[in-house]
Amino acid sequence: MSTTGSACAQPKLELRQVCKYFDGQAAVDGADITLHEGEFLSLLGPSGCGKSTTLSMIAGFLEPTRGDILVDGERVNGKPPQRRRIGLVFQDYAVFTRLSVRANLHFGLESQGVPRKERNRRVDRIVERLNLGGLLDRQGAQLNMSEMQRTALARVLVTEPSLLLLDEPMSNLDASVRESLRRELKLIQRDLNQTVLYVTHDQLEAMAMSDRIAIMNEGKIHQVATPEEIYQSPGSRFVAEFIGDPPINMIACDLVASDDRQVLKTARHEIPVSGPIGEPMGECLLGIRPHDVVVRRDAFEYSVPATVRLVENLGAEHVLHLDYDEEPLRATVPPRFAIEGDEVHVALNVGRAHLVHAESGHVLERPLPG
Amino acid sequence: MLFLRRFTVVCAAVIAFFPVYWLIATSVKPYEEWAAWPPVWLTDNPTLQNYRIVFFPEWAAEVAAEQQGSLDYKVSGSAWKAFQGSAIISVFSTIVSVVFGTLAAYSIVRYRTGGPNYPFQFLTVRMVPPIAVVVPMVALFSILKLSDTYFGLILAYSAFTLPFSIWMIRSFIEEIPPELEGAAMIHGMTEFRAFVTVTLPLVKGGIFSTALFIFILNWSEFLFALVLTAGNVTTVTLQVANYVSASSGKLYGVQAAMGTISTLPVIFFGYMIQKHIVRGLTFGAIKR
Repeated sequence: MSTTGSACAQPKLELRQVCKYFDGQAAVDGADITLHEGEFLSLLGPSGCGKSTTLSMIAGFLEPTRGDILVDGERVNGKPPQRRRIGLVFQDYAVFTRLSVRANLHFGLESQGVPRKERNRRVDRIVERLNLGGLLDRQGAQLNMSEMQRTALARVLVTEPSLLLLDEPMSNLDASVRESLRRELKLIQRDLNQTVLYVTHDQLEAMAMSDRIAIMNEGKIHQVATPEEIYQSPGSRFVAEFIGDPPINMIACDLVASDDRQVLKTARHEIPVSGPIGEPMGECLLGIRPHDVVVRRDAFEYSVPATVRLVENLGAEHVLHLDYDEEPLRATVPPRFAIEGDEVHVALNVGRAHLVHAESGHVLERPLPG
Repeated sequence: MLFLRRFTVVCAAVIAFFPVYWLIATSVKPYEEWAAWPPVWLTDNPTLQNYRIVFFPEWAAEVAAEQQGSLDYKVSGSAWKAFQGSAIISVFSTIVSVVFGTLAAYSIVRYRTGGPNYPFQFLTVRMVPPIAVVVPMVALFSILKLSDTYFGLILAYSAFTLPFSIWMIRSFIEEIPPELEGAAMIHGMTEFRAFVTVTLPLVKGGIFSTALFIFILNWSEFLFALVLTAGNVTTVTLQVANYVSASSGKLYGVQAAMGTISTLPVIFFGYMIQKHIVRGLTFGAIKR
């Protein structure tokens, strides 16, 4: 499977500077997304960030205020949903509860006028693939959430859409079911080489399934990159803070020149750094993930003492909330490393941290330990 | 507490059903008991005479000759004609009101047509006391040559029940998630077909109950029927008011008989559609 597609291949979906305004307010502001054949791209962002609006525009339920939407290279602005060859699984699945599962699966093919023989062939194939055999004669109303989800997915896949849109399809499911469905969905997507645009607010889902992730906030797309890149090199403060659990620490810091080198000053640390940081940039923040905060029992180089305020037990590891600045500093440690009230020694692995411009939220160069 | 609750329920039931009881009881009373004092709660001499007068007005003359007290009443047209008139007007205006009400409600719910206050603006039409609009209506109808025609009354009734239709059906359509139509459209249906095949069957119960409500309004309407007709078209309510005798005043027994009969079509209509009105388990197509 190609994850990014070759440069000359026709993208399956292209958004060019797509905007949507409601009463003068931008819900989506200049979205650019390119999706290649067989690719799984997640549109990830908090509730109300514009991802569902974007999805509605791609599906054809909303018209963009500006910008173009291209499916298979063809501009589809103004085309009704039924003429876009796009499949969509809704958040609430929208399974027709008064119809049997079988009738649900035949629904799309029937309304497209596919002959009965072909219809049966395609339904049989998808039923086998999604393991729906036992459900076929069940009424939609008798299904549980995960069966509804599989029915909705099968109903769309059977129409062999050029592009499949999934709108938070897991948000109604229990955590235990989600994990297995995530895996299954990813396998099906690969088997069918189906191009998928997956909308979610759950970073875990996006990270686990996607070839690439587009991070969206307040109508703007902040970064489109692989999960690895998003985590390791976030493009903005928002991306850095949104991705990662426990969340990244954002510590106020200053860069001061001392002699021929620069020193990174936080409330408690002074760490010499080198590298292409250049001139002073005004107020900065040091974004450092809890995994990159080094905690030991005894003092060591560049460490400062800190008191443990709170311990969060995540099972495989614990998160310490340490007294540091106005905000506590989060650090992950092995279980039973410390209890509340303990004094520990903490240092920052700045080589894996990000320097963020406080005002603009841009991520600057990564500081290098000097 | 329990006693108070039961007492309240019994009171409510008595208040609600007493007129019905009185109507039926009076309809089978002989002439002298209609307005007797002390009142006759249940007659010892039940008679179908009042019903006979309703359906065979010419028979009234015979009764008048042989019975004490005069029943020399004059009625323009028979009860049959009134039933026919009411049926035509009520059925057609209910259909018009519900069909247009459904389409308007759909548009208001899905497209926010007219902004958020639009359905309420429709309802304000009903806040004007009917008597206030009657005079201009009479003038308008005579200019348009709609007075005393079925078409005219159907038009008037449809116009005055449309706000209720829109208001009620709107609340039913609001319960249907737009995703269902969305799913139908994604699977190749046009918007109108999605509305007809997906949404309409789901709001069927609501539409039927609205239709029953509108039908009752139309069937029992009196004021417009009175001022917009002149003998050619007559309705059940007009016919009830017509049972007046020059010497005996209002013929309560006959009016009660006519009233009793005229409730039957409403009960019948209600019975026919009751299975649609009960919103079954099939409602609420999306599990939330």
